[in-house]
Amino acid sequence: MIRLLALLAAVLLPAPVLALTLSGDTRWQGAIDFAETVRVESDAVLTVAPGTLVTFRGGGLEVAGRLQADGARFTGQDWDGIVLKGCGAETLLHDCIVEGARTGILVRGGQPRLEGLTLTDNGVGMELRQKTDASVSGCSFRNNAKVGLFVKDEATAAVIGSRFEGNGRFGAYIYRALPRRFSGNVLAGNPTGLMVSHFGSDPRIEGNRFEQNGLGILVDRAAKPVLAGNLLRGNGTGIRLYRRSDPRVEGNRLEGNEVGVSVAFSSYPLLVGNDLAGNGTALLLEFQSSDWERAQGSVAREAQASARGAFGQSSRSEVTEDERRPRQLSGTVDARGNWWGTDGTSELARIGSEGNPSFIEDGRDTPTFVDAGKSYPLDRALFAPWSGKPLTTDTIDTP
Amino acid sequence: MLRHCLTILAAVLLAACTPEGETGVEGTLLFRDRPLAGAQVEVYLKGEKDRSTLPFAVTSTDERGRYRVSVPPGRYFLIGKKKETAPGGQVRMLMAECPANPLEVAAGTKQVAPFSLREMGRDGALVPDRDTGVAGRVTAGGEPLSGAFVYVYTEGASGLMGPSYGEAVQTDADGTFSVGLPAGRYFLAARKRADGSRMGEPQAGDLNGTYPGNPLQVEKGRTVQLGAFALKAVDAGERLERLRQGKFARTETSFSGRLVDQDGEPAPGVYVFAYLDSRMVGKPTYISAPAGDDGGFRLFLGGGGTYFVGARSAYGGPLEPGEWVGTFDGQPDHGVTVRRGESAPLGDIVVREVW
Repeated sequence: MIRLLALLAAVLLPAPVLALTLSGDTRWQGAIDFAETVRVESDAVLTVAPGTLVTFRGGGLEVAGRLQADGARFTGQDWDGIVLKGCGAETLLHDCIVEGARTGILVRGGQPRLEGLTLTDNGVGMELRQKTDASVSGCSFRNNAKVGLFVKDEATAAVIGSRFEGNGRFGAYIYRALPRRFSGNVLAGNPTGLMVSHFGSDPRIEGNRFEQNGLGILVDRAAKPVLAGNLLRGNGTGIRLYRRSDPRVEGNRLEGNEVGVSVAFSSYPLLVGNDLAGNGTALLLEFQSSDWERAQGSVAREAQASARGAFGQSSRSEVTEDERRPRQLSGTVDARGNWWGTDGTSELARIGSEGNPSFIEDGRDTPTFVDAGKSYPLDRALFAPWSGKPLTTDTIDTP
Repeated sequence: MLRHCLTILAAVLLAACTPEGETGVEGTLLFRDRPLAGAQVEVYLKGEKDRSTLPFAVTSTDERGRYRVSVPPGRYFLIGKKKETAPGGQVRMLMAECPANPLEVAAGTKQVAPFSLREMGRDGALVPDRDTGVAGRVTAGGEPLSGAFVYVYTEGASGLMGPSYGEAVQTDADGTFSVGLPAGRYFLAARKRADGSRMGEPQAGDLNGTYPGNPLQVEKGRTVQLGAFALKAVDAGERLERLRQGKFARTETSFSGRLVDQDGEPAPGVYVFAYLDSRMVGKPTYISAPAGDDGGFRLFLGGGGTYFVGARSAYGGPLEPGEWVGTFDGQPDHGVTVRRGESAPLGDIVVREVW
């Protein structure tokens, strides 16, 4: 009760207050300043009324109970942000702004609902971890210094209808996690729109729009997502598959990118049913060689695994080499059954399946590459049979 | 009389110098009832092995699983351990305390009965003996506590915190739990974190407790019934004080320096770790407080010695994207020696952001 009275005093008086623990139901409204962390205990409910301005001059808001905030603004400079610890679906943040925090909202477990939020000018806009099954919808992640949205740690959250724009490094980053949905999002103007990284990150990325990013989608380190029905337009590279990444890339439209799809370092995706017309280079193979994989692949991966120990000396054993190695090494990347555009189709009709298409750069153009003083043959793309017409006109459904 | 005493003393000293006067321990390590070659045997002076002290003596088992180590007369504690790759390819840690601890070594070589190592950690839980283990009910405020994690540690030196537990189980809806174990001596702790997670340092408001009857002796063929195991909420003030008294405690021996990024700009908020083990894995022996806004840090140490120093923006768990990490690079092995009572300047430690 004393704590509650102290909080009421804090609401009524303009002076900042120190650490507080809320153990009962509490309602905030108006303008409130805090100098240290406010904790909402597991049985408590904190309601933040529309129009409330909550300023943190230090600390942050830690919620183990329930938080219901609508139309509020949480602000500060380099504050800790909002931490939701195992909050259930009754916790709802709607139409709020969270800004200026090291991590705007950190979700640890639970199933909170995060709807229509604006996360801007934070270090990381939002981080979802510890198997959280949160729902993120209609949010805007803008101008966060590092990452708009981090999905980590086996989180199964749904991320839908959100916009990721102008973030410092990545619009969204999926790291060892399996979001149950990642669709209907727009990722624009980020150095990398979406990163999907590490073995075990196999989500379905569907129906999103990637525009004007340095890289639209980067798949790295043995991740195996399904990339389906996305529109990738005007990026430096639409999709980059790197270091043993074998996604299924199906039914996407890639247009106006400098490079449509880039494949490197023992990545063997399946590219099928995509429209790849109107890119500078539709498909680019770099440092991609079955021979290199046989000779150096496991050694390189072991070095990467060792580097995962914080100080480089340890090797973690969660992923075995057998799980990461390619199943077959034929010296080819499967890109059959795609539409390469009207001009591309004419060219293919002219040169046939044994020709060297101008829009694919592979071992036909650069027969070898050198690594550690040794020459390796560059893989080739299989492109025949190809589609004689666009494939995604009626199927792409992006925001 | 003096000549007589000197004669006796000389005889005693001579006896001590002969091979017959050598003292030590010897025995055999097993795993699943078979001799275990290439395992490490560590001899400690204390039972609650303090990870900040090195073993008194170390040896390895030969191809028949046998070991022999010379130690002066005294009271000792043996631990056997081996890290190896299992047939399935996963790395596993085998470990056990000698059931005969403490060992009194008086004269000659003490024969230690063979004992078996057990598989530890996340890659392989303890392998239980039949009908053997621990059961009980976790409570908070007198009420049954569902969903709490009960952790079984084989050593108490970790403070019953961190990932070195051998087994962990979660309580049922009525707060009860049961865990099968091999016979042995165990330490139990239980926690329920507000975010429901299994790992991580308990935060203010989380429920936490160690079993007051630790260590528990579990005999083969018997399940120990603990009854109620009560947890209490972690108090924010107590937690801060514990941190101050623990790894952040001020001592007269320390490292100091500055953490900077690759452009030489200060890297505030990053911790500095000191390990006794050059591999720099697992829990560090000492951790600094986060570096200040100017990147400055001071890492207090429990005593002099050679430490292997690294820096990281988070502690616990594998390295994640977005973290800052670096090492002291004054020596290739990242080691630096300091004498007790000294404050050794390390200069700048460069950290980089990992993506």
